[in-house]
Amino acid sequence: MAANELTDLNVMVAGQGGDGSLTVISALTELLARRGYHLYMSRNVASRIKGGHAAAMMRGSLLQRGCMGDHIDLLVAFDQEAVDMAATRMAAESIIIFDSSDGALGRDALAKTVRVVEVPFGRFAVRDLRRDLFKNSLSFGVLSHILSIDEAEAINCLHHTFRRLPKDAVAANTRAFNSGRQYASELYPRQDRWILAEAERSEQLLINGNDAVAVGFMLAGGRFFAGYPITPATEILEWLQKHSSRFEAVAMQAEGELAAIDMALGAAMTGVRSMTATSGPGFALMQETISHAGSAEIPLVVVNCQRAGPSTGMPTKPEQSDIDMMVFGANGDFPRVVLAPGEPRDCFELSVLATNLAQQLQCPVILALDQAVSQNASTIEPFDLDAVQLQHAKQLDASELRQMSEYRRYQVTADGVSPWAVPGTPGGESLVTGNERNEWGQVSSDPENRRTMVDKRQRKLDSNLQLLPRGNSWGDADASIGLLGIGMQKGVIEEAQQRLAAAGLGIKCLQPRTIWPVIDETLDFIHSCERVYVIEHNQGGQLARLLLAAGASEACIGSIRKYDGEPFSPGDLCSEIRQAEADRLGETA
Amino acid sequence: MTRTYEPNEPIWCAGCGHYGVRNALLAAFRQMQIESHQAMVLAGIGCAGTLQNNVSAYGYHALHGRVLPAATGVKLANPRLEVIAVGGDGDGYAIGCGHLIHSFKRNPGVVYILMNNGTYGLTKGQHSPTADDEGIAEQVLDGIQLGLSIPGSSFIARGSSASPVQLEALIVAAIEHTRAGLGFAFLEVLSPCVTYNDTYPAWAGRMVNVDELADYDSDNRVGAFATVNGLLAENRFATGLIFKQGGSSPERRRLDGGQAPLCDLDISPGSHLSEFHEIMAGYEV
Repeated sequence: MAANELTDLNVMVAGQGGDGSLTVISALTELLARRGYHLYMSRNVASRIKGGHAAAMMRGSLLQRGCMGDHIDLLVAFDQEAVDMAATRMAAESIIIFDSSDGALGRDALAKTVRVVEVPFGRFAVRDLRRDLFKNSLSFGVLSHILSIDEAEAINCLHHTFRRLPKDAVAANTRAFNSGRQYASELYPRQDRWILAEAERSEQLLINGNDAVAVGFMLAGGRFFAGYPITPATEILEWLQKHSSRFEAVAMQAEGELAAIDMALGAAMTGVRSMTATSGPGFALMQETISHAGSAEIPLVVVNCQRAGPSTGMPTKPEQSDIDMMVFGANGDFPRVVLAPGEPRDCFELSVLATNLAQQLQCPVILALDQAVSQNASTIEPFDLDAVQLQHAKQLDASELRQMSEYRRYQVTADGVSPWAVPGTPGGESLVTGNERNEWGQVSSDPENRRTMVDKRQRKLDSNLQLLPRGNSWGDADASIGLLGIGMQKGVIEEAQQRLAAAGLGIKCLQPRTIWPVIDETLDFIHSCERVYVIEHNQGGQLARLLLAAGASEACIGSIRKYDGEPFSPGDLCSEIRQAEADRLGETA
Repeated sequence: MTRTYEPNEPIWCAGCGHYGVRNALLAAFRQMQIESHQAMVLAGIGCAGTLQNNVSAYGYHALHGRVLPAATGVKLANPRLEVIAVGGDGDGYAIGCGHLIHSFKRNPGVVYILMNNGTYGLTKGQHSPTADDEGIAEQVLDGIQLGLSIPGSSFIARGSSASPVQLEALIVAAIEHTRAGLGFAFLEVLSPCVTYNDTYPAWAGRMVNVDELADYDSDNRVGAFATVNGLLAENRFATGLIFKQGGSSPERRRLDGGQAPLCDLDISPGSHLSEFHEIMAGYEV
């Protein structure tokens, strides 16, 4: 391997919204994927339609990674603000390709070792092609030289990126690319160029968590979706609206979150598998119906793509601060399940599972994502579409009903799940209600009936724990230190654990996928360690508190939290753990 | 015969207008030979929101104000069901009024019977949006005017629990409207609360059945608006079939487009594997 060969490359392209940062990232993505790299992509945008500072980030690595790295190796900056914003994150030996159309780069905040290549992309684009727009292709030309990419290979990737554009637009972008490349080759010494590694290219998908949720829902037989646009959940609505006609499904935009969840509930009552998706503020509005679905025993999947709260908070930033609301929110006692996927594959698998589970348990199942899991994309092996199976509700059809002398919608059963005849079935007439009721569905406040019914509903969960998904665990099984985190923490914990292991600190890890109820696997993991650091994005340590309340030993639990809207980097997390361990030794000494 | 639940006796006070609505609904079902399993009665919260317990159809008790979105979901999922949403004026004109507006606009094949008594009976007599009381500074909300003002509205009628023959006919017309795939059928029923807001005497003699007016054209939205407003200015109410127009409901458009009812679809993953493989190919890098 050559000294300057790259096995892990973190790139940021930043400028004003509309500068074309995403185009540069797309072309680079194509390039790296062809070289066999794994990819992880994220965006940093303001919550507005156009303009505002926007950054697209991408990590290409030979090892599969589930987060951005600690530092930026390569920055394409369309303005000074981009550099100022990224300055503290630049790697020591990094390169900045700077659009100097508006003047030279002020590099006060940069380490001396950071190399800056100044090219007036914007000015060149206007001079040669009469449009500022082409500066993104121009910058890709510069980039391709610095990464020692063969001209034909680079053009090929650029053309792939622009495959849907008209020919003349592609030709103009190619001229811009050539101009940038020419300029860079005169300006940038050949011997200082970086070299991309080349690995065996495997079949992989680049997909974000929201799309993966939508695919899983549809594949698991989901045919009704109603939602209301909200960042960062909107992609689920959009995916389903785009593809619903292929499956004769309905995906509708409601007049608000209350309408969305109640429409989904209505469809669900007829036996059609139904979902809604939202983020924290919308999930707060949906509480009443979630409780109602729990009481009335209606299967419903509710996706909560968490963002930084409270209230409207920071719509485009990730957080895990709705755990309390998802687990404990809404009035009354009722059974519910909360599942938390950590990356796109999990999103797919748990979406399938949630859609099935809601049917099996006839209760609300909540899928807990966070903005990073929802909207960041990563490469994964293709889903095993053929392996998906449907699990059905205890449903009764007309001929089964004819064999029965009587039908009671809320029949008390050993496992709490009542046989279900959907509306329209002769002989299955019933009353479905959120009120307490007897087995026939008739309103009742009789104390004995009340106890029986509350217990029956709870029993659905307690007697079906085997249906709940186990988590992902890895690391040194004999280690005494554990790391535990859900959702977006998965990729960061993975990498931190590997680094700490390489430095001689053995660690084992668990990413629970069922967060409510707290299952034995989670508590067993905690109690197999001397101490467990619970890594989460919220101020109050909601996950740690949940585990303590479920019986985790207090002496065991350490809490590492962040709530600034930015994910942990693996390096941050390693430092936090080392510090916590050092503090501990200090205390015992 | 499988034995199912026995419909309860209503919880309403003797003389409550809602008895008339229940009776007219049952009569309409009988007249149209709708069997109990073919209809779903969804009800809101309040006195009116218990009507589903007193018929023998599939019944559902919605959250306060949410009966229309739930009914929309049911109808889209199973268009064969006669979907009847019922509720009071608090449910439909106060907490759920946003959904009423969007139901006019969306036009699902749902019959919505709103029992208007100008009060919150179940919570013992608070003012509703239609309360007509000199002690309230706010103007009365008129659901007929509201419906007429929304271009997508396709069936607007008003009946009275004191006029059972007319009410039954209007319910039949409303069900026929939804059956024909024309969309949302809104029927407000003046249904007095004898305990907290006995409007029988106040409303007597103030109702004008537009179906009996010479030259009244229920296909003419502007004309209907003029008549309704004119009567209101005279302190009278229009009843009867006030407005209807052709159109198509979303579930009808699905069926016309060759799409099966959602509840009949083959959802086995194997049934659409090639579609999924094609979609996923779009994510390959």
